[in-house]
Amino acid sequence: MSEVPVAQRRGTGRTRPRRTRLRARTLVVALLVLVAALVGAVLLGAGDIGWQRVLAELVAEVTGGRSPLSAREAAIVWQLRVPRVVLAGLVGAALSVSGATFQGVFRNPLADPYLLGAAAGAGMAATLVVVLAPAVSAWLPAAAFAGALGGVGLSWLLGRSAGRTGTATLLLAGVAVGSFLTAIQTFVQQLNTTTIRQIYTWILGGLNVSTWTDVLLALPYIAPAAVVLCLCARLLDILALGDAEAASLGLRPGRVRLLLIAAASLATAAAVSVSGLIGFVGIVVPHLVRLLAGASYRVVIPLSLIGGAVFLIVADEIARTVLPGEIPLGVVTAFTGAPFFVAVLRSSRGQRT
Amino acid sequence: MSRLLPTHAATFPPAATRARPRRSRSRTAALSFVSLLAALLMLGGCATHAPDQDSTAKPDTEATFPVTIGSVTIDRQPMRIVSLSPTATETLYSLGAGPQLVAVDSDSDFPPQAPHTNLNALSPDPEAIAAYNPDLVVTTADTGGLSAALAKTGVPTLVLPAPNTLDDAYAQFITLGKATGHQAEGESLARQTRDDINKIVAGTPKPAHPLSYYYELDQTYYSETSATFIGQIFARFGLKNIADGGTGPAGGDYPQLSAERILQADPSLIFLADTKCCGQTAQTVAARPGWNTLTAVEQGHVVGLDDDIASRWSPRLVDLVQAVSTAVASAGR
Amino acid sequence: MHAGYAGSIVVRGVSAEVRSGGWLGIVGPNGAGKSTVLKAMAGLLPFGGEITLDGKHVERLSRKENARLVGYAPQSPVLPDGLTVTDYVLLGRTPHLGALARESAGDLSIVDDVLARLDLAGLAARRLHTLSGGERQRAVLARVLAQRTGLLLLDEPTTGLDLGHAQALLELVDRLRREDGTTVVSTLHDLTFAAQYAEQLLLIAGGEVAAGGTAAEVLTAERLADHYGATATVFTAGRGDLVVAPIRPK
Repeated sequence: MSEVPVAQRRGTGRTRPRRTRLRARTLVVALLVLVAALVGAVLLGAGDIGWQRVLAELVAEVTGGRSPLSAREAAIVWQLRVPRVVLAGLVGAALSVSGATFQGVFRNPLADPYLLGAAAGAGMAATLVVVLAPAVSAWLPAAAFAGALGGVGLSWLLGRSAGRTGTATLLLAGVAVGSFLTAIQTFVQQLNTTTIRQIYTWILGGLNVSTWTDVLLALPYIAPAAVVLCLCARLLDILALGDAEAASLGLRPGRVRLLLIAAASLATAAAVSVSGLIGFVGIVVPHLVRLLAGASYRVVIPLSLIGGAVFLIVADEIARTVLPGEIPLGVVTAFTGAPFFVAVLRSSRGQRT
Repeated sequence: MSRLLPTHAATFPPAATRARPRRSRSRTAALSFVSLLAALLMLGGCATHAPDQDSTAKPDTEATFPVTIGSVTIDRQPMRIVSLSPTATETLYSLGAGPQLVAVDSDSDFPPQAPHTNLNALSPDPEAIAAYNPDLVVTTADTGGLSAALAKTGVPTLVLPAPNTLDDAYAQFITLGKATGHQAEGESLARQTRDDINKIVAGTPKPAHPLSYYYELDQTYYSETSATFIGQIFARFGLKNIADGGTGPAGGDYPQLSAERILQADPSLIFLADTKCCGQTAQTVAARPGWNTLTAVEQGHVVGLDDDIASRWSPRLVDLVQAVSTAVASAGR
Repeated sequence: MHAGYAGSIVVRGVSAEVRSGGWLGIVGPNGAGKSTVLKAMAGLLPFGGEITLDGKHVERLSRKENARLVGYAPQSPVLPDGLTVTDYVLLGRTPHLGALARESAGDLSIVDDVLARLDLAGLAARRLHTLSGGERQRAVLARVLAQRTGLLLLDEPTTGLDLGHAQALLELVDRLRREDGTTVVSTLHDLTFAAQYAEQLLLIAGGEVAAGGTAAEVLTAERLADHYGATATVFTAGRGDLVVAPIRPK
């Protein structure tokens, strides 16, 4: 090995090291893509109103002109389509950013937002509501929300009672709680088999009954959680070094983990309460973002928000327009999962194991 | 044909006693007369009977058993029937076989006097069923090898699945009648139901313009196409189902529609089959965002149906048909 | 001090004093508790007794203050695969930033400087998983150096490095120590390297201090036989460098 030059600056040919950060240009491009997806999804829908007329309607709304659509068509656009697209964006963003956070917290590329029992808790709560109070379906979102948070809370408490706040303990606790809650859900379902279709429909996940109410229900939880996670993105990079090194850098790993999991679970619970259990978004989108923009969470977190929104808007668009009927949204997102894992497998072949 | 032998046997001895020989010569003549009579009787017996006989006579119980329906043989009139089919429960009571029932499943809620139990129809437990010591079990599907399990204890299982057409439903009335020793009632019930329904349909004033309808199974917009059993009933009124017209592989006969599509189609009639399960009414429908622009909502053509009647195929179908008829009459004006 | 894991004490009665700018090497057989001592000094393990830095008691410092004074490189560092070298080294600046603050130009120039000193400038944009073993060790060292602490705790810094790379790394640390006045405490597997680079040695065996002092004082054949159970000879070579060489038992 050559002598290391001490305090000797080399010639001007050397470039300054560039850190990975979210450049304004990247952000602008991402936001443009989001807007394009939003508008595109509103213009093309299951009903055949004709995209030119819908475009005219949008323009008229913005400029205050006269609406070219009939009352019913306007209702379709503003009461059905727009809230559905907006909700798809919200839910996609929430699930993606939660998935990215969980992948960082658990240092595991296969982590998803449902890891700590959020899905199991929500499913069980939804089952109980459908079985016990079927006519009061307005309670379903609240129950699912509480169930999701309850599942994560239980996992956390269980992990802590084991004496350690390490990630392995937490994961095991999550698996235990998830299995238990799923068992309860299955048991209750078996006793009330006439409600199976309703529960199953909800579990499959879908946005076809979205209204502005749902948007207003989910937004107050998803927005602050997203802000917190964006601000804490750097902490995820440090956590990735392992608890010992993170502590030596001045962090309290247990506390930071708690904050991150709480914020991510809040966003997940809100998403699940209005849209059921939509899978794969939380795993696929952060990985795609990493492939395109780099592995630092400072970039992955905010771009996962935008990328997730675009992803789910497009997926929902496919779910409602490709075939004359509605394809369950969970099916569309699952279809992206298989080729995605194949792609990840192939790309990781080139890396060292 | 299986009825014929006992009848034949019942009448044969009288015929023989009638032709009692007195002399050896008239004995031969009498014998040939007897043989001719027997042959004639046998020929007459082998002739096919008309399917719907006069049903004024009291049901022939002992005489009509054993009965074979498909691969199931019922040896004698069942007096301890377990019904795992809410439809069959209703039908059995309509046939007058109510006293023969000892247990009905947890979903059989009509009529109220049916012997309600906790038996689960969708995942039946052969042991629990056998505990009622039945001599016949009626169900809609042979789940989990139920009939094989019950056969081990000597209990026959009659499987009456959901029918595809109205005629299939009527045939089930007849089958149930036959199986429980109420064949005449079965045939009469089938005939009566068919006539009632035909009368209602014929008596409904034809709408001034073609009407379309949306049939709602639950509040996430699951619907049924006109290829289904219910759909066919509606089709008899000349109603067009908005769930038809291509649902692709993503729906089959029970597609999930989107609110957008329903609003676009603007059906003249909306039928709610989720009034009991999911608390939907004309008011809740009108409260859905954007739905107040629908013609059916504005003009009050949102009809709530009884979930149970709409999902069963019992004689109460007539009520369903009547409800539809009333709706069509009012909307067609 | 004494320290341990989960209620059981692993090392006891450890007492040492290191001058500012000095190098203390901790040696000892496997499982003796060397890493435990370092972790306790880094504030990662609870300990009994006292550890002071420039007169300040370690346990009274906040995590962040501690991070500004003590830099710790573990034995098996976790290197996030997809991160670039620059980003990784930049993480070392964390203790000097606010809670959620972004790095300033000053931080970037420190990283710049560190990368240059460690001959990593050409690899600045490479992802960590593409580096060789020696380069990775240097990257870890770079991160700890970027922390600009007065004390460096290095746990087996030459793990997995061949003779040339190990020597180069230790030379580097020595040079930086002399230039910056950094105090270094490191555990070292290889006794020859320990003898050649550390000013003071602490021999820990069975959870207790078996010997302390200069290399010549600590590393004797009898001690090596006693504590390591190894047959070795110690001699001087070159310009007075101590060498510990194993010889085959008879």
